[in-house]
Amino acid sequence: MRRFLAALVAALGLTVVAAPMASAYEPVNMVHTERVQAGPYGLTVGFSVWPLRAQQSLDFTFIPDGGIDGKSGTLTTVNPVTCTSRPQPLARHPRKRDVWGLDVRALRVEGDWTFRFQLAGPLGQGTGELRGLTVLAQPGPPMALSWSISILPLIALVAFLVAAWRRTRAQVAGTVPAT
Amino acid sequence: MDTAAHRVAVTHAAGARGMSPALTVLGGTVISLIGLTWDVQWHSDVGPDTFFTLPHLFLYSGSAISGIASLVVVLAATAAQRAGQRHDPAIGGRAVRTLGVFAAPIGYLVSGVGAASFLAYGLWDLWWHGLYGFDAVINSPPHIGLLLSISVTMVGAVMVFAAARDQRWGRVGTLCALSVLLAFSTVTVLGLQNLEGTVSWIDAGTGFVSVLILLVGAGCQAGLRASPQAGSAPGQHGRPGGALLIAVGLGVIQAVFWWFSPWAAHAYADAVGLPVRDYVNGVPEMPSLMPMCLVAVALIIESLLAWGRSARWTPAVVGAVGALIVAACAPFQSALLYGKHVSSTMSIVATSVAGAVLGLLAGFLGWRFGRMLRLLSPAEGH
Repeated sequence: MRRFLAALVAALGLTVVAAPMASAYEPVNMVHTERVQAGPYGLTVGFSVWPLRAQQSLDFTFIPDGGIDGKSGTLTTVNPVTCTSRPQPLARHPRKRDVWGLDVRALRVEGDWTFRFQLAGPLGQGTGELRGLTVLAQPGPPMALSWSISILPLIALVAFLVAAWRRTRAQVAGTVPAT
Repeated sequence: MDTAAHRVAVTHAAGARGMSPALTVLGGTVISLIGLTWDVQWHSDVGPDTFFTLPHLFLYSGSAISGIASLVVVLAATAAQRAGQRHDPAIGGRAVRTLGVFAAPIGYLVSGVGAASFLAYGLWDLWWHGLYGFDAVINSPPHIGLLLSISVTMVGAVMVFAAARDQRWGRVGTLCALSVLLAFSTVTVLGLQNLEGTVSWIDAGTGFVSVLILLVGAGCQAGLRASPQAGSAPGQHGRPGGALLIAVGLGVIQAVFWWFSPWAAHAYADAVGLPVRDYVNGVPEMPSLMPMCLVAVALIIESLLAWGRSARWTPAVVGAVGALIVAACAPFQSALLYGKHVSSTMSIVATSVAGAVLGLLAGFLGWRFGRMLRLLSPAEGH
């Protein structure tokens, strides 16, 4: 029992020690930018992490020359593996409200992604693309290993139910529903 | 007085002692459920994440409350056993020897293991966010591990109440705990999001889980009669309606969360000075995942169980019908709520067929699990 309690205290202690570093909202700091020309509009695309890696989340900002006032548009991210894309309205970044952006978003797979922008504003409409946005391989353990670890509680529950099933077979056998 | 009747009389006296820890474990799971719907809505409507947001603290404290209550019961049972007292199986079920030291009532052992597992996955989640950042996706491996751990605790809560089903609070608590488990599981199935293809595995999985839990309730609640080959006696307090009551319970949770989730997310955003995202659609996220057709499905399940009561295959067939309806209705519910186009006919048909096949298994397993739950009660577990 002592070892059990010691492990419990150690786990709780780790959580408490880790709390301060995990409890603050991070500021939006861009470390790399790219330029896109969408018709009459110049656009600066900012990245809070560079280079990009699959599964690793970061902040993106999209800043049209002259600011976002009076402008609107959509962003379409094109996945290099499935080539699927879905346009979404350009929304203000939740932690940097004077620009458009995506907050702590990850690109799921490695490869060359494309960001397509469609903008509308006082100068009319325009379309532009940021092509060849390279996303490097995913850091950390392979996803198959991570998923295998994640379903251990389910495996344990199934094993428990199998054992309970076998132990109660004689008592349950032979009963049928009655109403 | 025969042995079973004597056991029931003794456990009635112990009932009051068992109710407090059982309610504490259930209360912890309800707090986890509240934390989950709040957290999902927070990420949808507001966004920024840390390890210690208020919804996260609800999730952590829910598991902590359930875990500590379970630990206290296990320690009390161990101490009682060492003092030479016999454990009352109405309090969490039969005590099993654990780690060579503890005498753990089986229901509390399961709920406690779920809570301990949650702690381990919480640490893994912290490491994960340190490596990959705070991308707020529900279907990351640590998140699914956390959700499965809470689900294990919820299964323990069901067992704890089922062990006391000789008493009214035990029967009511069993159905409440199953409703909470079902509501929670509608998010856990999002782990199937990575499976691609014509079939929507989330919808088929929701059908499977829904029918599984409804049939557990029906099997646990319904009376039984002896088959010609066996001499088992009818269960006490047996009555139909377990599936229907769970579906109604889910409906109540869905209705409350429909109001609560957006309100809590926006109130918390106001409190910490964060803005609501642009283009928020206003749809409560987690309640939208809960099947709205479930009361109707439960009525069909209860009717079919009554109609086919003499057949052994009835639960499986009932499960197939129920899961087929849930899976088939899901895309229409989603289209109605989000104003989107309904999935292709091919996808709906394929998902419905997958739901029906999974439902066969869910019906068979659910009914059997319900019967196994009854055996936790001292009156029947002999």
